[in-house]
Amino acid sequence: MSTLTRFSAIPYTGPAPTNRNPYVPADVATIDARGAEIAARAGVALEQETGLDLPAFIVAKEAIVPTLRALRDHTEFQFDLPLDLFGVDYPGREQRFDVVYQLYSVKNNERIRLKVRVGETESVPTSVDVYRAFDWFEREVFDMYGVRFEGHPNLRRILTHEMFQGHALRKDYDPAQRWLLSEQGVAKLKPKIDPRFEVEHSDFERVTLNLGPSHPAMHGTLRCAVTLEGETIVGADQEIGYLHRCFEKMSETHTYQQVIPFTDRLNYCSAVINNVGYCMTVEKLLGVAAPERAQHVRLMLSEFYRIADHIVCIGTNLVDLGALTNFWYLFQPREEIIALAESCSGARLLPTYLRIGGLAVDVPADFLSNSQRIVNMLPKYIDEVEALVMKNRIFRDRTEGVGAITKEDALNFGFTGPCLRAAGVPFDVRKASPYLGYETYDWDVPYAEGGDTYARFLVRFEEMRQSIRILQQAIDRGLPSGPVIVDNPYVALPPKEKVYNEMESLIYHFKLIMHGIQPPVGEAYFQVEGGNGEVGFYIVSDGTKNPYRVRVRPPCFPIFEAYGHMIMGQTIPDAIATLGSLNIIAGELDH
Amino acid sequence: MPVTRTAPGIVRVEREAMTLSQRAYLPQILGGMLRTFRHFLRNLFNMKGLPTISYPEVKRVYSERFRGRHILTTREDGTTRCVACYMCSTACPAECITIEAGEDQRTREKFPVRYDIDLLRCIFCGYCVDACPEDAIYMTRDYEMSIDTRARAVVGLRDLVVPPDFPVEPMGWRPYYGKMDKRGTAGGTGIGQPIREAPYKEEMPIPNPDVYRGA
Repeated sequence: MSTLTRFSAIPYTGPAPTNRNPYVPADVATIDARGAEIAARAGVALEQETGLDLPAFIVAKEAIVPTLRALRDHTEFQFDLPLDLFGVDYPGREQRFDVVYQLYSVKNNERIRLKVRVGETESVPTSVDVYRAFDWFEREVFDMYGVRFEGHPNLRRILTHEMFQGHALRKDYDPAQRWLLSEQGVAKLKPKIDPRFEVEHSDFERVTLNLGPSHPAMHGTLRCAVTLEGETIVGADQEIGYLHRCFEKMSETHTYQQVIPFTDRLNYCSAVINNVGYCMTVEKLLGVAAPERAQHVRLMLSEFYRIADHIVCIGTNLVDLGALTNFWYLFQPREEIIALAESCSGARLLPTYLRIGGLAVDVPADFLSNSQRIVNMLPKYIDEVEALVMKNRIFRDRTEGVGAITKEDALNFGFTGPCLRAAGVPFDVRKASPYLGYETYDWDVPYAEGGDTYARFLVRFEEMRQSIRILQQAIDRGLPSGPVIVDNPYVALPPKEKVYNEMESLIYHFKLIMHGIQPPVGEAYFQVEGGNGEVGFYIVSDGTKNPYRVRVRPPCFPIFEAYGHMIMGQTIPDAIATLGSLNIIAGELDH
Repeated sequence: MPVTRTAPGIVRVEREAMTLSQRAYLPQILGGMLRTFRHFLRNLFNMKGLPTISYPEVKRVYSERFRGRHILTTREDGTTRCVACYMCSTACPAECITIEAGEDQRTREKFPVRYDIDLLRCIFCGYCVDACPEDAIYMTRDYEMSIDTRARAVVGLRDLVVPPDFPVEPMGWRPYYGKMDKRGTAGGTGIGQPIREAPYKEEMPIPNPDVYRGA
């Protein structure tokens, strides 16, 4: 079988690889027109950059704070949700760094991208006063690129440790270096006391207590130092980075296909959703679309994993609150969901099932019947747990009004996903900018008022029901027939029968493994709705087999940033109840 | 919890006020206890329906495409199929495969002198199987890989290569192979499906190279 017996060309008539050509988005004219419109009416000077997948502008670094403020307060555009802030390094340029701001307007449902160019010795004014979310994002850019932010209240490293030398995401940083952290180097957290609790002198001594990083109540490896007065939290400071795995740096040294297993490990509770986000971003760059069958399976698995993500969140949060039984009840359907993923992909938690251009392998013959079985059993478990806790007075007393955040604060902190919806903003990426055909399904975005822990429970329970609704419709429609991966040998590996029997297929196979997928030169951003918010991938391609830059927008990151703000004035048990309901996944938080 | 539609496609989940019986605290507690107790009784008298698996007496059966420990297959004449082309080590995102190539003096064929997989580095993504152009590397359903030292996590040719008559056909992760008999899952926790029923025939040997060799 493995001998090459016959030579025949495989019938591929599609386009040849398009690398070295610039990437042009499909609807570039509309995007540029909208960009020109914003630039004309924003009231601040904006230099438009055309030909990108979002309305993009280059802003002088002195003007960035007034520009952000004008865009946020503009009555028409109202870019009130700070999505992301990150850096890109172009060493060949005179001003080598791009600091990229991405904003979203809930009112108009549109995104923009602002770029500030900075040289190695220059600094950017901090925008913390405009968007509080950018506090940590600016620290991350400083940590990874060494770009200084003028006037930042606490500009120190965030993902790497204090004894780390150099800035890891610079192109001239050698990733093989190792930096040891000794005990002397560990920074002592000094929680900032909330102004409400500032007192001249008190009879009581204030105690600083570390919650985590190694405590079961602090999910994963999260650390929060709190200052207590009696039992009240009067100051809090969070420390992250304990699970930093250099996702972004590692992606730059691997091929596009090899990054997929790394994305699994971002939000490991809903791994498939990350895969979908990453693969669709690369597909956007490549200009290919996965076949219908693959899209259908992607959607179904995304919804299953969303339910599994919410199950983990609700289950573990209830364990923190002392209701252990619910965890066991809920993990039964989760186990079935994971077994379903295993039957498709061969691995349970981290399936690595998607490939760029489709799926690795077709779903098993009993996929739909198994899905139906799980969809049938899920409501029973959800109803049971909801009946156990949601009307229980102990539970309500412990969650209502606890860890509350207002709508304005939630937006300003860059919340997305269930936490934002629990604060009263019905923003869901699946509804706002549908992908995978979500617009063809009949479902609702649930939201709740209050922004407290109880509201987050309400939203998550309802979201699981809505996911079940989507799944039921998906099952009723049945799987479309056809292939599960695109028929393009520059993107997808040819089938093995052809590799063994045809010279051309063997060459394509060899080329794709050795030289990888080579997308056109350009940059693209694509977002999906993850288990706990908007998961976005920003990829810069330079036409080679390795991504030039992969940026993941982790939804947990701004949410955990607001954690200190949310627990202020409350007690330790409230802080634990709040943390669980935020669904912080350390793998994603620390990327 | 009740919902009200505020806009097309958007619903608000309402927060119900507590009723008198909920405020009185005890009825809800008793109701919850009753529910838990019902579960307890049902499980007590229906031990067979329990979702837990008594590992290792009962082993969980995974699907055909399970990505477990690797094996290197051999041709009928006993030589290993691997031609040391380095495709798998190139495709490996975890960089866990180390290959050294040699040349067979008699047939002038390239073959691996050294083929090491560091199972602690391996992330079991299956990319090596996808990449192999020679049908040489497979992933089996074997998931019991406990070791006592780090050095033993590095498996070489001696551990990986299986004899020619080793039954490789029904197992392992094999995408891109076109139509294969997809018998799907036997997984799950046993709710609504027989858990002890394997997707492959009973008389087939256990696909574990160590057991097969009688180790």
